[in-house]
Amino acid sequence: MMTTTHNSHIDVEQLQFQYPGAEEAVLSGADLTIEPGEFVAIIGGNGSGKTTLCKSFNGIIPHFYEGDMRGQVTVAGHDVSESSVADLSQHVGYVFQEFDNQLVSPTVFEEVAFAPMNYGHEDYRERVHRTLDLLDLSGLEDRFVWELSGGQKHLVALAAAVSLDPDILVVDEPAAQLDPVNARETYDRLAMLNETHGKTVVTIEHQTEFIAEYCDSVVLVEDGIVSWKLPVETALNQLEDLRGQDVHPPQVTRIAERVLDDARPLPVTLADGLDLFTDYGSTTGARTDGSSKVNQTGKPVVSFDDVSHSYETLRSGTKDVLDTLSLDVYPDERVVLAGSNGAGKSTLMQLVTGLETPDEGTVTVGGTDTEDVLPEQLAEEVVYVKQNPEEMFIDDSVRADVGHYLDDRDYPNVEQRVDEVIEFLDLENLQSRDGRLLSVGQQRRASLAIGLATNPSIILLDEPTGSLDLASREEVGRTINRAGERVETVVIATHDLELAASWATRVVVLDDGDIIADGPPSDVFADLPALKQANLHPPQVVRLGTELDLTPAPLTVEAFTDRLNTPSPSTETAKSPVEEQ
Amino acid sequence: MTTLDTLRDATSVEAIKSDLLRTAYENEGSFLHRLDPRVLLLWYVVFLFVPWLFYDTTVLLGLLAFVSVLAVLSRVSLFLVGLMAFTVATTLGSYAVVTVFTGDPVAAIRALIPYTLKLTIISVSSLAVFSSMGPKTLSQGLRSLGIPRQFTFLITYGYRMLPVLFQEYHDLVNSFRLRSTAPDSPGRFRWRHYAYLLKLSVRAFYPMIFNVAKRSRVTVEAMEARGFSHSLANEASTELRLADMQIRPKDVGFFAGSLFVVAALALFL
Repeated sequence: MMTTTHNSHIDVEQLQFQYPGAEEAVLSGADLTIEPGEFVAIIGGNGSGKTTLCKSFNGIIPHFYEGDMRGQVTVAGHDVSESSVADLSQHVGYVFQEFDNQLVSPTVFEEVAFAPMNYGHEDYRERVHRTLDLLDLSGLEDRFVWELSGGQKHLVALAAAVSLDPDILVVDEPAAQLDPVNARETYDRLAMLNETHGKTVVTIEHQTEFIAEYCDSVVLVEDGIVSWKLPVETALNQLEDLRGQDVHPPQVTRIAERVLDDARPLPVTLADGLDLFTDYGSTTGARTDGSSKVNQTGKPVVSFDDVSHSYETLRSGTKDVLDTLSLDVYPDERVVLAGSNGAGKSTLMQLVTGLETPDEGTVTVGGTDTEDVLPEQLAEEVVYVKQNPEEMFIDDSVRADVGHYLDDRDYPNVEQRVDEVIEFLDLENLQSRDGRLLSVGQQRRASLAIGLATNPSIILLDEPTGSLDLASREEVGRTINRAGERVETVVIATHDLELAASWATRVVVLDDGDIIADGPPSDVFADLPALKQANLHPPQVVRLGTELDLTPAPLTVEAFTDRLNTPSPSTETAKSPVEEQ
Repeated sequence: MTTLDTLRDATSVEAIKSDLLRTAYENEGSFLHRLDPRVLLLWYVVFLFVPWLFYDTTVLLGLLAFVSVLAVLSRVSLFLVGLMAFTVATTLGSYAVVTVFTGDPVAAIRALIPYTLKLTIISVSSLAVFSSMGPKTLSQGLRSLGIPRQFTFLITYGYRMLPVLFQEYHDLVNSFRLRSTAPDSPGRFRWRHYAYLLKLSVRAFYPMIFNVAKRSRVTVEAMEARGFSHSLANEASTELRLADMQIRPKDVGFFAGSLFVVAALALFL
C-alpha cells in the first residue's frame, strides 16, 4: 500500500475559460475535486475542454494562454491564478501527448536532469538515477532522445516529470500513439507510482479498456462542464453518456449489454467478463466475421525477395530493420502489417515506394525492380500515406495539395478530377484551408485524398488510426473502406488489431525484421504465441473468446454475441464492423 | 559501381546527416574535448588574431598545418571540410575570373594567397574548436563567460533539434519527389536530374519551417512546466550547471604549448 502520503488536493470551482479570439468559452463552470492518491481518468470528446481543464492544474492555463478565466482552481493549497507555473510544477508533473516535442535535451540523462537542475537541486544526479531505476529505464542515460523508440520516449518524458518528485502526475493520452504493449507498460508504471508511492495520477484517456483496468474513478467532461465523477465500474456502465462523447465502452461491456437482459451492472474488465460468460454456453457455428481464406490470384503486385535493410545510429551501432524477408502481395488483397513500434513496418513501406532501396535482396513492384527506376516513376502505381499527415502537406491549401501531382504531370481536366476526389472524401468545406492547421482526423482524410488523386493501384497507409479519438477513428475507418473501392490493393501498417480484425483479408505479423505469422485474421489471431512474440495484444473480444475456448475465437463484438447461446438484440447488428471497432 | 554512384552515395542526405550528427555529438574522447571550454574559447579568440600578425606565406602555411592537426584530432566532419575546400577554391577561382579583365590573373591570385590563407586558418580553427565541443560544454563555456542562459540554452536546444530538422526536411523532400515528375532525360552528368532535386530541396524549406514552428508550442509549454524560467533567476541552478568545470594543468599546458608553437613558427620559418 502507500508508503508515502501527501496532502495535495485538486479543487476546481466554477472554472470558466475562454481562449483569446475564441467565440465560445471552452470551460463554462467546471467543478471537480480530486483527493490525494486517486487514479483518475478524464474522458470527453474532442473539444469538450478536458485538456484545458488539466492544463489548469499546473497553471499553463491561465499563465501561458492568456484567456479570460473565472472561478477558482486550488492545487496543493496554491491558488493557481496567483502562483507561477514554476511553483505549481513542483507539485504537478505534466506529461504531454506529443512525446517527441516535449523532450528538450539531447540525451536521456540531461532530459531527466533538466527539471532538478532548473530548481537548483544539488542531488540532481541521484534524482536522475533514482527516477530511471524506478521506471526501469537504467542503462538509457547516454542514449540520444531521437534514437529511442516511441515507448521509450514516452517513459523518458514521464521520468522527466517524476524527477521533481511531484505529488500529482497528469498524463495526456498515454495510449494514443503507443502500441498496446507499450501503452500497458506506461500504465503499469503509473499504477506503481500510484500504489507504492501514493502519487495522485490523472490521465486523459479514451481507451476504456485501460480505464477499467487501472483507474479508480472516471470524470466525464462534456461541453465545458464536469458532468459526473464516478467510481470506474459505475462510470463505464453509463453507456449513453459515454457514447454521447464518442467514447466506446470496453468490448466486454458491449457484449454483455447485448446478452444480458436484467438490470445487473455490466462487467467492465476481462476478468469480470470471464466470470459472467462462463455460464453462457457457446455454439461453434459458422463464423460471421472476416473471411478465413486468403484470396491470392494472379501475379503478385509487390514482391519482397530475401530483403535485408539496416540503418546506422550514433551510439547504438547498426540497426537491422529487416532481415532476409520475403513477402508477396496479390491484387485485391487488404493486408494489415502488424507489429509493435519499431518492428520494421514503415521501412517495408518505404521500400515499396523506392525512396529506400534494400541493402540486399530485391523489391519488385508491378514487375519492376525498384532499384532500376526513380521513386517518381513508381509513384504512378504506388501511393504512400505517411503516419504523420503533416509531412504530406507541401502546399498552402488542401485543394492545391490534392492537385499537386496532377498539375505537375500535366494531366487533362485537373480541376474536374480534384473536385471529384474532394467530393468523394467530403472535403468541400476544408479544401481552401491549410492542411497543417486541421484537426488530426481531418488531416488524415485530407492526406488520403492526396493519395487517391494520383489514381494508384496500390495504396500504403502507415498507422492511419494513430492518435485519433474514437469518432475520428471511425471516420478514417469509413474512409479506408471507401478508398478500397477505388484501389486494387490496400496495405495498412498498424498495431491497432481491432482495425485488423474488422477490416483485413490478410494479416502479416512482423517481429525483429522478419515475418512470424501470415494468414487470414482468424488464423493469425488464434496464433497467440506469435502475437506475444511480436509484442501485440489481441483485441479484448479475441482474448475473451480464447479464454472461453471458442474456436476459432470471434473477432468482433457482433460475431461474439452471435456465438453465445442467447439471441442478440437485433437493433445494433446493422452497424458495419469498422464502425464498431 | 561507377564513380558517379560512389559520389552520389557519399553525398546522399543520409550520409551527410550522419556525418554532421557525428560532428555535433560524437566528440567525446577527441583531444580538444577533454579541455575546459573556457580555455578553448579563449584559445579560439587568440587564434582569430594570430594569423593577422604574419605576412610570410611559409609561417602561415605552418600555422595552417598546426590547426589542421588539431582539426584532425577533433575528428572534423568530412562534409564540412569538403565544403570549406570548395569555398576556398571557388573564391580563388573567382578572383582569377575577375582579374582576367583587369590585368594579370596569376599575379592577382599570388597577391591574395596570404589573405586567403589567413581566412582558411581561422575557418579550420573554428571547425576544430566547435566540432570538439559538444552542445553541453559549449553552452557551459559561454554561460560561465556571462552569456545569458536564454541564449546558451538555445544552443543546446538547437543541437537537439538538428536531427529532427534533418528528418523533417528529408521527409518533405521525399513527399515532393513522390508527387512530382522527374525530368524525362537526365542530361549530361545527370544535370537535369540534380537541378530538379535542387529545386525540390529549396521548395521543401517553407513547409519545414512551418511544421517546426507549429510544434515548438508544446516544447515551450514543456520547458515552462519543468521550471525553465525559474532557472533564469536561480543562482543555485546556475552554480550546478557550471560546477563540473575546472582549469587543470593540461588546459594551461595546451594554451602555453600553442603559443610556443606560434612563437617557434615565427622565429624559425
